[in-house]
Amino acid sequence: MVGPTRSPASPPTAAVPAKSRRPTGQFRDVWRRYRRNKLALIGLGIVGLLVFLAIFEPFLTPYSPFEQNLLNTTAPPGNGHVFGTDVLGRDMLSAVIYGAKLAVIVGVVTVLASLLVGVTLGAIAGFAGGATDAVIARVTDTFLAFPLLIGAILIVRTFGAGILPVIVALAIFGWTTAARLMRGQTLALRENEYVEAARSIGATNSRILTRHILPNAIAPVLVYSFTSIGVVVVAMASLSYLGVGVPADIPEWGRMISQANAFLRVPGKSHLWVFPSLAIVLTTLGFAFVADGLRDALDPKLRGRD
Amino acid sequence: MTDMTKTRTVGQEDVLRATNGDRGAPLLEVRDLRVHFETGGGIVKAVDGVSWQVREGETLAIVGESGSGKSVSAMTILGLVPSPPAVFPTGQVLLRGKSLLEMSEKQQRKLRGNEIAMIFQDPLTALNPVFKVGDQIAEMVRSHQSVGRAAANKKAVDLLGEVGIPNPRARALQYPHEYSGGMRQRAMIAMALANDPQVLLADEPTTALDVTVQAQIMQLLVDLQESRNTAIVLITHDLGLVASHADRIAVMYAGRIVETGTTTQIFSSPRHAYTYGLLSSLARMDHARPERLEPIQGQPPSLSNVPSGCAFHPRCAFVTEECRTDVPQLIPLTVGSDHQHACVHPDRVAEAHATPRPPALKAVTPAHVDVPPVVEVARLVKHFPIKSGVFIRRTVGAVQAVDGIDLDIEPGTTLSLVGESGCGKSTAARAILRLHEPTSGTVRLGEHDVTALKPAELRKAREDMQIVFQDPYASLNPRMTIRQILSEKYELLGGGKLTDTTISDLLDTVGLSAEYADRYPHEFSGGQRQRVGIARAIALNPKFVVLDEPVSALDVSIQAQILNLLEKLQADFGLTYLFIAHDLSVVRHISDRVAVMYLGRIVELADRDDLFERPQHPYTQALISAVPIPDPEVERVRERIVLTGDVPNPANPPSGCRFRTRCWKHLELSEPDKRRCIDIEPTLDVTRESRRHTVACHFAGERQVLRG
Amino acid sequence: MGKFILRRAAQALLVIIGATLLVFLANFAFGDPFGSTGDRQVPPAIAAANRAAFGLDQPLPLQYLTYMGNLFTGDLGVDYNQNRPVIELLIETVPNTARLALVAIVIDIFIGVTAGIIAAVKRYSFADVLVTVVSTLAIGIPTFVIGFVLVATLSGVGPFPTVPRSFTVEVPWYTEVLLPAFALAIVDAAFVARLMRGSMLEVLRSDYIRTARAKGLSERKVIGKHALRNSMIPVITYIGVSLGGLLGGAIITEGIFQYPGVGYLLFRAIGGNNAPVITAVVIFSVLAIVVLSLIVDILYAYLDPRIRLS
Repeated sequence: MVGPTRSPASPPTAAVPAKSRRPTGQFRDVWRRYRRNKLALIGLGIVGLLVFLAIFEPFLTPYSPFEQNLLNTTAPPGNGHVFGTDVLGRDMLSAVIYGAKLAVIVGVVTVLASLLVGVTLGAIAGFAGGATDAVIARVTDTFLAFPLLIGAILIVRTFGAGILPVIVALAIFGWTTAARLMRGQTLALRENEYVEAARSIGATNSRILTRHILPNAIAPVLVYSFTSIGVVVVAMASLSYLGVGVPADIPEWGRMISQANAFLRVPGKSHLWVFPSLAIVLTTLGFAFVADGLRDALDPKLRGRD
Repeated sequence: MTDMTKTRTVGQEDVLRATNGDRGAPLLEVRDLRVHFETGGGIVKAVDGVSWQVREGETLAIVGESGSGKSVSAMTILGLVPSPPAVFPTGQVLLRGKSLLEMSEKQQRKLRGNEIAMIFQDPLTALNPVFKVGDQIAEMVRSHQSVGRAAANKKAVDLLGEVGIPNPRARALQYPHEYSGGMRQRAMIAMALANDPQVLLADEPTTALDVTVQAQIMQLLVDLQESRNTAIVLITHDLGLVASHADRIAVMYAGRIVETGTTTQIFSSPRHAYTYGLLSSLARMDHARPERLEPIQGQPPSLSNVPSGCAFHPRCAFVTEECRTDVPQLIPLTVGSDHQHACVHPDRVAEAHATPRPPALKAVTPAHVDVPPVVEVARLVKHFPIKSGVFIRRTVGAVQAVDGIDLDIEPGTTLSLVGESGCGKSTAARAILRLHEPTSGTVRLGEHDVTALKPAELRKAREDMQIVFQDPYASLNPRMTIRQILSEKYELLGGGKLTDTTISDLLDTVGLSAEYADRYPHEFSGGQRQRVGIARAIALNPKFVVLDEPVSALDVSIQAQILNLLEKLQADFGLTYLFIAHDLSVVRHISDRVAVMYLGRIVELADRDDLFERPQHPYTQALISAVPIPDPEVERVRERIVLTGDVPNPANPPSGCRFRTRCWKHLELSEPDKRRCIDIEPTLDVTRESRRHTVACHFAGERQVLRG
Repeated sequence: MGKFILRRAAQALLVIIGATLLVFLANFAFGDPFGSTGDRQVPPAIAAANRAAFGLDQPLPLQYLTYMGNLFTGDLGVDYNQNRPVIELLIETVPNTARLALVAIVIDIFIGVTAGIIAAVKRYSFADVLVTVVSTLAIGIPTFVIGFVLVATLSGVGPFPTVPRSFTVEVPWYTEVLLPAFALAIVDAAFVARLMRGSMLEVLRSDYIRTARAKGLSERKVIGKHALRNSMIPVITYIGVSLGGLLGGAIITEGIFQYPGVGYLLFRAIGGNNAPVITAVVIFSVLAIVVLSLIVDILYAYLDPRIRLS
């Protein structure tokens, strides 16, 4: 043997850069990739603004969003009312800000509720398979057969108008997509060798599901849930527009738009529907941008790339 | 190309042959080709100054590990590398002297599939799933010849017949997914040959296939080459394949050719340290006393960050200062020789190559002493039910993945379970560990009957029986650090044995630095991840470890590192291995005993040397003969048994002997003997020579298939 | 393949039974449609007579069975306001909605598929960036905002009828269908474009496209023949589901444009608390979605032989 002797197990070092670096958290890695997407940053800004409005609503509204002034209805912007006043003489800016609070609360609570149901059922269906899967699949199909709005109308009509019925109605017909995504992910991950590896070192099914499958399966569900907040906000507005959503006296974007219906072709009154519409558009776009950015940032195919 | 050059007369061929003899004009020539990709992370120099040529009727092999740039150079010839992102700073591709890269897209297209055709690694994904196979071949015909649809279809059927697809007329009407892997590759070859190309680029044509199917496909290519005088460029990582099929070889590393010459020159007198490294890290099936593997350390560089000087220097055993600074150019070994190398130290490489290597740890199987086995598997069965029905899903049959196997594994030894894909070897391993619940049978591990344990007891018992998985990318949870992955086992099974130094000691044992503990799997290479997988398996000192194809996903040079590690761990800790593998060379290197599986059954079981030197079962013989040996001298005289057909469906195995439908010996038998194979199932019986050698064949008998 | 369709049909039947049960239970929980509510005072005797006339005095399971039986004979009850059979109202409105849905889907496919293919084939080009940006924005805009903008700007202009509609004036169908169809198609086309782009990019990366190029096929053939059929598979699924939703009545859009379809029927029924009509439309929507997704599955199997033959 002429070549220098090598110990068979000498650790190879070429792949890891020589400079020692602190272990990077996965969060930092995701953020690094997220922040390269400009639209995603804009989205984050919009979402941040909405959350800010929702939390500090009482301090930000120039007038009470409920206070009516029947002597000064449908006034155009100006005169102390930046967005003008609505058909009942309420300050539009205050109403739009209050609407933001409502949108954030209903959006987040509805999506969290749908996730709770959808992720649980989807994970169980995917992991258990067999008859359990078949039963859950049929139930999911049944709810999926209702268009979101039409299904929600059915529920809200039953429980009466109000914020809680709206949340319940939208969650009842909103969990199915999360369940389907989660089921697909679980089904794919269940066959993964690291799941088998966990079993081979004595992990129980519940540990495998919660520690090994869930954290790896959740990314697409998370991305979806951000888009669906936008969908929920629009659906809530649509319900109010139809007159079956939140009670008539609560300033809600869809309700404001529906009240503007009669003024649609009246010149000089477009502020009645333009501002709440803009609010809805910005909200959905904001959440959609965040979802897009997250999807790219969490894409395993792009991981580790600079 | 005009029709003039396409229509070769006999006379022309003779002239060409003659010029071939004294190394006439090359048919296809690549000169100083560079293909760079501009990415966010910098310039990736996939191909960086490569020149080679191939003549009519010749086979040139381009050999390299993953990421060496070998495929990209072939794709560039066909104009299939999209630009951007690719740029071609320098280089020429000449087909009979005509420059391809300067042609218009339209002219290039006329050559593609017509003058130069290509076959790809994975025939499943390379054929369009939504079109019939016959139509896809006919399309190839019609895009270069002005023939009608009917004529093209007929030609497609003829071609399918020519590449050995039975019943081609019916097969042409089927979709790719209705073909087996080997048949798909035959269909790809039929497509490639549709227009009688002069050059065939074959990119890892058999890598996705089983070894007996590989033998079929390579035989087909050789026959077609002989009848058509096609030039073949064989792109592969498999040195064995090269030894038996190439005329000349170009070895690529990090985008450059580091050595080129005739097959004999490269194998008998390598002059580049990398070529030498590859050869000495290969396990050889035909060596009675296996030599110790000398792995190349580290892993191939990223093409975006190629080391300065000789790109191989960080991994080189002969490195000196000048290797680090100057990029060595290809120079002839002697003046005028076509054996060229780009190494600063050809003499030291030659010297090292001439020096015999020390024998492997397992060079000689120790004399057998009667000790009770650690693992006893008896009548193990694993069937997967097939369900059907519109409303109620009834079980209508079963895939008989494992159908009654018996194995004893002695303490401190390695038993290998070998066979082709779908033979049930991995399922057997999982059933033994009860990762899949066995249908019936017993597994004894020490004093436990594993198959009788209750779930909680089974989890506890896993401390003694562990597994290393095939795919190091899939077997580590991507969201856990190495420390978390390894600690989890101690949390579940360790009972407080985890101390501050446990993880770093464990990493040290498998040759990883302790500072890696807090990193995530994606920061590691395949070989490093496999070390983590091994660390997880050997933690807490199990009695028994299943190694499920632990090196088959790794590059050749990395395989040797892992094999050496496994051998060392076995020697240090007295581990007992069940080694699942399809690569017989590796099996010969690492095993004490070998069991050969076919369609869910064990057909032969013997001590290693007995099995390789004196195989008794016709299937074992065919299997061994199909494995190419990385030595052209040996390959030249070896006899290859080419099996016909494909492995039958395990849901509906043949009656009697399961192998009889593909058995070469069965064909030679008299009618009454044939009936015996069809009617009576052979049992696993001891042979006359040794009671430790059992075989399941009515007509077992020796046949020399190893060396010729 | 027969077995596959049979299985899917059986599953669809289960879904329909489940969905109708859900509707039925919701109606039941909603309570007595004939009782006194708020400012509407109904004498108890009249309420009881109404209940008996509509079969609401029977036990619950029997009510469901009666209800399902009636459903199969086309008897969807009688509308509370005009006392007309609900089936008549549906027969009047369904063709309008079908027309609207088909026009919207055609616009949708035309814009979405074309834009998606161009964006994928000319990746990173100006056209790709344009398609990506516009589709991202369009998805964020709720249909009813688009509806509002169209009504505010285009209704009454040129051939488009004025909103609020006057039902005494007859207009040619294509003038009343265009604006709502456009409002519906914009968001959907954006979805289709994104889906098509992603799917096409995925397919273009696949090995068989490399094979097609290695055969020397022209780029037109590579894209138009080998890539298109494969990349259409997920798009078709989406379009099918989307068409199902539109056929079930686009309640908001039809409401905004006062388009005389199923959606507008539901819109008005909600305002008038007209339970039999609401129930009928909901069931009709569910049926439309279930049937369309069944068709999509069959189409899917046709497009992909791997499914057809397994």
